[in-house]
Amino acid sequence: MIEQPTRERETQEILQEAKRALEEEGKLLAKVYNEPGIFEFEAKKIFAKTWIFLAHETEIPWPGDYVLRRIIDDSFIVSRDEDGQIHVLFNMCRHRGMQLCRSDAGNSSHFRCPYHGYTYTNTGKLNGVPFQKEAYGPDGLDKDEWAMTPAPRMEIYEGMIFASLNPEVPPLEEYIGDMGWYLDFYLKKSPAGLEVVGAPQRWVMPADWKLAAENFIGDGYHTQSTHMSTIKAGIMRVKNPAYLKDGVQITAGMHGCLFMGFKPGSYFNYPQSIVDSMLENLEPEQVKLLKESSILPLNATVFPNLSFLHSAMAIEAEGPLATSVPYLTLRIWQPMGPGKIEVWSWCLVEKDAPEEFKKNSNRALLTTFGASGTLEQDDAENWSGVTRVAAGEMSGQHYLNYAAGLAHVEPIPDSEWPGPGTAYPKNYVDFAQRRFWESYFDHMLK
Amino acid sequence: MIETSVETYWEVYSFLMHEAELLDEHHEREWLELFTDDAEYLMPVRVNRERVDGDGFSEEAFYFEETRGSLELRVRRLETEYAWAEDPPSRTRHFVTNIRVAEGGEENEVAVRSNLLLYRSRGSVPHYDVLSAERKDVLRKEEGQWKLKKRVILLDHSVLTTHNLSVFL
Repeated sequence: MIEQPTRERETQEILQEAKRALEEEGKLLAKVYNEPGIFEFEAKKIFAKTWIFLAHETEIPWPGDYVLRRIIDDSFIVSRDEDGQIHVLFNMCRHRGMQLCRSDAGNSSHFRCPYHGYTYTNTGKLNGVPFQKEAYGPDGLDKDEWAMTPAPRMEIYEGMIFASLNPEVPPLEEYIGDMGWYLDFYLKKSPAGLEVVGAPQRWVMPADWKLAAENFIGDGYHTQSTHMSTIKAGIMRVKNPAYLKDGVQITAGMHGCLFMGFKPGSYFNYPQSIVDSMLENLEPEQVKLLKESSILPLNATVFPNLSFLHSAMAIEAEGPLATSVPYLTLRIWQPMGPGKIEVWSWCLVEKDAPEEFKKNSNRALLTTFGASGTLEQDDAENWSGVTRVAAGEMSGQHYLNYAAGLAHVEPIPDSEWPGPGTAYPKNYVDFAQRRFWESYFDHMLK
Repeated sequence: MIETSVETYWEVYSFLMHEAELLDEHHEREWLELFTDDAEYLMPVRVNRERVDGDGFSEEAFYFEETRGSLELRVRRLETEYAWAEDPPSRTRHFVTNIRVAEGGEENEVAVRSNLLLYRSRGSVPHYDVLSAERKDVLRKEEGQWKLKKRVILLDHSVLTTHNLSVFL
């Protein structure tokens, strides 16, 4: 009699109303921040459909290296085989389904299931089955048929390993699309490429993943309030708390970012060798932004849950490190259920950067972002607070303002902006955030 | 395990109890005074590894990699009126047990190991966080006072079960 289960229909109604309000009125229905039915939709319609970042190549530099990663509840082994090829393998034995690998990182040519002892190579090939003839007859098992199951899709973008549960997902380069031009500022400052500084920080936050993703896609506005303490304490070395208001906000496909200014010629205080290589390695149009406009992407989100942050902050109260030291972090907001995420945060540095700089850059990140970061501590407080008050019934009739910039900000004409996508000449606007939500509703209501 | 005199052990014990009290009562500025000028305060990331690969503590990745000068910045931030993560403050209780004191590498130093259970609750939600760790400290006596020269916090977590580290361990 009922065509759809009631709960699924209710979820769809919430989403349709939220989409309508965003498109027609620049408002977001608060309910979407914490609703079990919505989380179930997200798992199926977003995290099982899009490209999800799993690991950086430099986390597994040697043959046999592996790390365990997840897409929501699906565990994958990301391994490098003896030929240097990378594999993303579903971490479930083909026999009785035991989790094959239970260590989060290591080096091994094989994975042996503890349950009955099926053994696979790090390419996923079934290599050994105990007492095979006794169990399966004189011909044994067809080892090709019973190999590990790879992720339906795996591709690598500038050292970043992504997987998708969706065999039909567009190629990764196409998926990233115009955003690639902006990611270059993070990823291509040196021809040597980037490397991770050790293992990622991981911590659990009672917050919705979308709050973090949409903050990182373009929220320059919150800095003057959320992060005021770090300005007062001399960590964020700026005089004017509203220093981010005059940047440039970008929408590029489903993704977006925010440019911030730096003192002309200072290049974010990167060491001279990195400044030289970024001016050499980036495209002339990108270099023009660095040289003439003195701006650089600060934060970015690649839909759905991968974010970047380039910043520069003080590490010490006095001395040479009491000045802005630049760093780059890459992070994912991994959903763990409605209103709950596990945050994974990596520090990345140019492989050919001076060793002392690598260490200081990681310390500048720790001081400000990550679980102990003096900025991210307050982000966590805010995102947890939103999630908490969105849990009730009122959030189903409570609309949030996403209208910054709608009344008075026009895009920069294409002729005056060298990059792809759409650029807006201010940072205190919601164009990128709205783009995030448009991408979100496109997936959720497909 | 206990290689020092009863008197030294008692002094170290009193130091750690006093320190825990300062943190639980939010006297972060006074807590900072317990550190030597060249202090190190470290909390490495821990990775879940197979037994044969050791305890999983990273040598490169940290949650805290602090000096006295960077701790000063963190305390200054808490002293502003904008440190939202700690206002209203977390209610913490540092349970410090299993204190073991050995001779240090230098004269006037002792090597101290202790277990820490940190209870933390915030707001009026029934949920609370618990962090468990071993701490390996080096204490140095300066002008008759014990000071914290080095602390390494060795977590019993591969994923931190608290939403941020706006508190000290």
